[in-house]
Amino acid sequence: MSDMLSISREEILDGRWERILNFFRSRSLWMLYYCTGCGAIELPPSMTSRFDLERFGIGPMATPRQSDILLITGYISLKTLKRVVRTYEQMPEPKWVVGFGSCPINGGIYWDSYATVNHLEKYIPVDVSIAGCMPRPQAVIDGLQKLMRLIQRGEAVGYKKYQLNNQWYKTNQREVLERTEPVLAPASSARAEKRARRAEAAGALVGEPAGGAS
Amino acid sequence: MSIAELADRVARENPGCRVSERYGNQLELKSPVRQWVTTLSQLKTAGFEHLSNLACVDWIDQDELELLANLWSHARRVHVTVKTRVPREAPAVPTVHALWPQAGVYEREIHEFFGVDFPGNPELEPMFLHNWKDLPPLRKDFDTREYSRRAYGFLEEEQE
Amino acid sequence: MSDSAYSFVELQEICRTDRYVQYELFFGPNFPGMHGNFGYILDVAGSTIVGVRPNPGLLHRGFEKLMEQKSWIQNISLIPRICVPDPDPNEAAYCQAIEKIMGLEVPPRGRYLRTIVLEMSRLSSYLMGMGALGAMMGLYTGMYRMINDRDLLMDLFEWLTGARIYHIYMLPGGVRRDLPEGWSQRLSEVLDTLEGNLPEWDRLVFENPVVVKRLTGIGPVTDAEAVSYGLTGPNLRAAGVRADIRIDDPYAAYPELEVEIPITGGGDALARAVQIRLEYEATIRLLRRVLRAIPGGAFRTPIGNPLKFTVPAGDAYARVESSKGEFGYHVVSDGGLKPYRVSVRGPSLPAGLALCHKHLPGMLIDDVAIWMASLAVCPPDFDR
Repeated sequence: MSDMLSISREEILDGRWERILNFFRSRSLWMLYYCTGCGAIELPPSMTSRFDLERFGIGPMATPRQSDILLITGYISLKTLKRVVRTYEQMPEPKWVVGFGSCPINGGIYWDSYATVNHLEKYIPVDVSIAGCMPRPQAVIDGLQKLMRLIQRGEAVGYKKYQLNNQWYKTNQREVLERTEPVLAPASSARAEKRARRAEAAGALVGEPAGGAS
Repeated sequence: MSIAELADRVARENPGCRVSERYGNQLELKSPVRQWVTTLSQLKTAGFEHLSNLACVDWIDQDELELLANLWSHARRVHVTVKTRVPREAPAVPTVHALWPQAGVYEREIHEFFGVDFPGNPELEPMFLHNWKDLPPLRKDFDTREYSRRAYGFLEEEQE
Repeated sequence: MSDSAYSFVELQEICRTDRYVQYELFFGPNFPGMHGNFGYILDVAGSTIVGVRPNPGLLHRGFEKLMEQKSWIQNISLIPRICVPDPDPNEAAYCQAIEKIMGLEVPPRGRYLRTIVLEMSRLSSYLMGMGALGAMMGLYTGMYRMINDRDLLMDLFEWLTGARIYHIYMLPGGVRRDLPEGWSQRLSEVLDTLEGNLPEWDRLVFENPVVVKRLTGIGPVTDAEAVSYGLTGPNLRAAGVRADIRIDDPYAAYPELEVEIPITGGGDALARAVQIRLEYEATIRLLRRVLRAIPGGAFRTPIGNPLKFTVPAGDAYARVESSKGEFGYHVVSDGGLKPYRVSVRGPSLPAGLALCHKHLPGMLIDDVAIWMASLAVCPPDFDR
């Protein structure tokens, strides 16, 4: 697995002219309304009349081709990861990813689950993470405002990282999505170990079947 | 009909099964595998028309898998849990997908997570897991923490 | 329902012979009309669906395996996440199954507090359901205002339990804490507000001729079919079957309360919409009765050190009536510190994964989202 390229900060941040455009971009962000996990239940309260996200210019959008932000609301299972990667690559640049909750950061409450990934940063670049399980609407607005400030300063450049380190991200994605080998030891050896332990407890020699064909 | 009378009637209609009552309004029936389909269809005609779910329990120390069916009778307000056991090596249970339409979905799920075969069920392809190459995950000899560490990595360990 | 020049049978014949007419359409998961992260792979001819393959598993987290790794009391923090809009019936069913195995009694005040939380959760889920019915047709005003009402309930939850969505409030033996000072007064004020807004929702959604026309005739279910497919809750009552777990297999404080069950016959989406509207009103009245009748006393039976809490060997199945139907937990214990096996029965599996094969072929693509909203198909509880 190759390492990430080491690139100096000045090369990757947005330049001066770009920052003028960013001033306008940050005030009209459209987010893709794809509810990937349980955190999505706090999106309707954030968007509707009480906590109104639309006063910041942030509104929901149906297609990835016309949205700026990809919100990963909560945990990501493997099937979802495949769709999220394709959606992220379909979005035109500049584009930003916001990770909701603690699950994209380190696995959250499902850290020991066989079905959810633990660290989203390995598969797509995440610009802002919002902590909480799940984050309340005030935290969501706070996180999105932080994203707006980062965009204005020219520091929200996850998409450039994805372009430059594409090989690294793709290797990680393929490792998880296109497995050909089982991850844990194959079943037959686990059963042989168990049989050996039972035989030892019964007093027989290890390697000889303890009453019954192996 | 009181619960004791219902238990007697069920025991008479299903010879070979052991019936007991518990928790006030519940019955428990232990049936051998070869009588699985006849027991369930007998209970369905006796009024237990609502299938709540089919589940499976892995008794690894006894080297058996236990299949459960939870049924409910709207008219009598009685619940019955039907249990049967199959060996862990090459488990197979006859299918009941003809009795209830959603039973086929539950059997498909048990096939994916425990590896139990249901001969006669037309649709047993995996539907929940993506490209799964390991043991059926809900079996007791599958270690989910170790899988998560090797497949996805734990953040604290990687940062050291 | 479709007004094309061909009948459905003729369309099927054309599709078999003309390979350019039929195509595959992914309805979800990345689609605003889909409830949650779930997909149907549809074979479509023109605008009419010919075949359907559900594609679940995007929300699969392996709950049943995770519950075997954590202790009995730790699992209560994991369990509400199985059903996202209506999390409290999960905690109630889990605790009831444990109490059945142990023979543990919950004191009367604890049972009434559980009932209050369950009914409030039902109200918030109905608000979201009624909003979703309109939103699936493009009527977003209802959704915006109803979520606003729902936030009043979320504030009350936060005052009582500390969290807006996942409360972790119930324990085997009772509830975690008592009502704070002034909470019941605030709840009656909120109920008055909710009831006062009802005429507006009626004018907006339920008496709206466009909504009524689009809901009529979608997904008809007869009473025999509903029972044989395993539908429960409002879906079953809208098909004409008189069944409610709060009356048939009572738990919490329901044996002492009078529960009204409105029954709408009809069985199609309009009957289901009217059903949840009537149940919403009945729930508000029930909550008022509960508030008047709460007894004093202890709110939980002490269970000792939660880190050393064990359940004797055995198994039990407990069911709870949620806003979508029957939530069931089959808990198997071997006497240890962790559950041996917990099997969760979610109410949306019969509708989402089995009934779709009967209803979707022959339907227009536009109606699939409405069909899902009317049957309250919520993917997290069958993906677990």
